[in-house]
Amino acid sequence: MSETTAIGGPSRFRSSGRWLTSGLQHAYIWLWMALFVLPFLTTVYRSLEDPKGGYSFEGYRFAFGSFQDALILSLQTTIVTIVLNILISIPAAYAIVRYPIPGKRTILAALNVSLYTPGAVMGLSLSLLFAYRLSSIQGSFWALVAAYVVGTFPLMLIPVIVALRDLPTVFGEAARTLGAGRWRTLLRVEIPLLGPGITAGILLTFVIVFNEFLVTLFIAGKGNQTAALTIYNILARAGFAPSTAALASIMQFTSFVVVLLFFKVFGSRYLKGTYLG
Amino acid sequence: MARVTLQDVTKRYGDTVAVDRVSAEIADGEFVTLLGPSGCGKTTTLRMIAGLVELTSGHIRFDDQLMDNVPTHKRNIGLAFQSHALFPHMSVAKNIAFGLTNRRAPRAEVQAKVEEMLDMIEMTGMGDRMPSQLSGGQQQRVALARMLATDPRVLLFDEPLSALDRNLRDTLKYSILELQRRTKKTAIYVTHDQSEAFAISDRIMVMNQGRVEQAGTQLDIYLRPETEFVANFVGDNNTLQGTVRAIEPGTDGIREVVVDCSGMTVRAIAPADLAAGDAVSVFVRPEHIEVLPDGSREGQDGVLRGKIVQLVFEGPTLRMTIDADGVPLHVSVSGTERLALLDQANASVWVELRNPSVVKNPPAV
Ligand SMILES: Nc1ncnc2c1ncn2[C@@H]1O[C@H](COP(=O)(O)OP(=O)(O)OP(=O)(O)O)[C@@H](O)[C@H]1O
Ligand SMILES: [Mg+2]
Repeated sequence: MSETTAIGGPSRFRSSGRWLTSGLQHAYIWLWMALFVLPFLTTVYRSLEDPKGGYSFEGYRFAFGSFQDALILSLQTTIVTIVLNILISIPAAYAIVRYPIPGKRTILAALNVSLYTPGAVMGLSLSLLFAYRLSSIQGSFWALVAAYVVGTFPLMLIPVIVALRDLPTVFGEAARTLGAGRWRTLLRVEIPLLGPGITAGILLTFVIVFNEFLVTLFIAGKGNQTAALTIYNILARAGFAPSTAALASIMQFTSFVVVLLFFKVFGSRYLKGTYLG
Repeated sequence: MARVTLQDVTKRYGDTVAVDRVSAEIADGEFVTLLGPSGCGKTTTLRMIAGLVELTSGHIRFDDQLMDNVPTHKRNIGLAFQSHALFPHMSVAKNIAFGLTNRRAPRAEVQAKVEEMLDMIEMTGMGDRMPSQLSGGQQQRVALARMLATDPRVLLFDEPLSALDRNLRDTLKYSILELQRRTKKTAIYVTHDQSEAFAISDRIMVMNQGRVEQAGTQLDIYLRPETEFVANFVGDNNTLQGTVRAIEPGTDGIREVVVDCSGMTVRAIAPADLAAGDAVSVFVRPEHIEVLPDGSREGQDGVLRGKIVQLVFEGPTLRMTIDADGVPLHVSVSGTERLALLDQANASVWVELRNPSVVKNPPAV
């Protein structure tokens, strides 16, 4: 008992020192968190302002009422783009990884060009292309999807290539010796094992396409305003309104929820690598 | 289930000849091992039988059916890989069922078969586990069950045990043999481990540099090697140089070759292609050299005198090097008589070479 008292003083001193360090560490982290979240919080705060004074959800009611179509369009284009990206990337990845193609590196580099092209340049080229050669889809839903696919399929292709390179050929061979033809081998064995690559590609495509603005600005038709473009248009035409902030908050929130859900659903199964375990 | 015939099977990768005109007939229900050093073409041969590698030339038949253009998934084979290759995203039961569902077998039948297979590999009730939740031995057993579930015509094994530890290897190799005997299926087993090959095969095919050097039973391979490579690759051997003096009709109508060799006469079963005057190599296994008690048999066939220059006691065996007129002979003794030899370093002794085998030297190049 007496010993405890004897060392009580310095130990209490030391622990208060530790408290100080740990407090500083936390403060540091919170500072950066706050800086990152500040724009979002500001938007949410402004979205809650009522034009007639005070605070309300009026902005959100208005956003859901009049921007519903824009939000739905954004989701639709995103989902269709993801599906097309998958359909393009899996065969392309097989060709590149499993078959001897001359000039593989060059082809791969060329395929990735769209990732390094500035959005404005991309938008301009596409709008010129649609105007001169593809007027039938100019300004339509499919024009948007085509633009997004061209711009983002490398985001799907690259993770699928990496996953395929890491996938030992022995699983496909085992499937074939067990009587599975080419399609069954692909669908039952290889694509499930490429899961981590494909889901990473889905996440990347979603985040980019759902929030895409610059290319859309160039090519979207009158009736085809995505949510991101709508925000810009309203701000440019009518200045700030709480409903615009509400729409922005909704978009931000949707992205956030999708990413969270993604990690919840796929994170444990694929990203942590039970596969090949 | 099927007889497997290889006819001049050849595989070239660019300039490398991985498999060079291999011909063989593997009888229905036979257990044949391909044995050979790393890179000799065992895996390539097996994968051609499985249809996973295309032949450059030659033909493969199951019974009388030409398989050259039959894709892997229609060959009805079972292949065991070095890594068990269980599908990591499927449970044990789903893995075992995979082959049957490929054939659209009715669900009840699939379920019954999975249960039967789990019982067979003594893993009853473990169908819901994922492969990553099994031990190495269990994984390999599930892989065996998976390949047997579809009742394949031919079983192919590519060093299925080489990733496992020694004890497990010993038990599993007999499980594999037992399964093959029970199902009476034709089996082709690739290994570079001689003791594995000797333990489980009906017949061994020794391969070297893409060619089959010799095919035969364990005794043929061990006692009557037909090439220098086989003599030296399988077990240990002493090599002596000699000249054929005569070919004689020996007892039982088996022709005998008489060879002058290191100042003595050696008799052995004559290979077909020998004639008097040929330069030959004489192979004698260290365990087939007997140390004689005295010199009373000096001058008889296979008896010569030498000096013990090295003695190594390894417990169950005693290894000696005996210098016979400048020719070093490796001798291993494992009976109780080895104890009497322990203090004989540098002693002069008489030894008798037994069961020698004779191989004609290849023409000098
Ligand atoms: N895909 C390939 N491309 C080029 N050469 C190959 C290929 N596969 C095998 N080879 C060559 O063919 C030869 C035989 O290879 P194989 O895999 O059949 O040997 P192995 O007897 O199974 O050897 P190990 O005991 O090491 O498994 C080797 O020289 C190897 O380098
Ligand atoms: Mg091999």
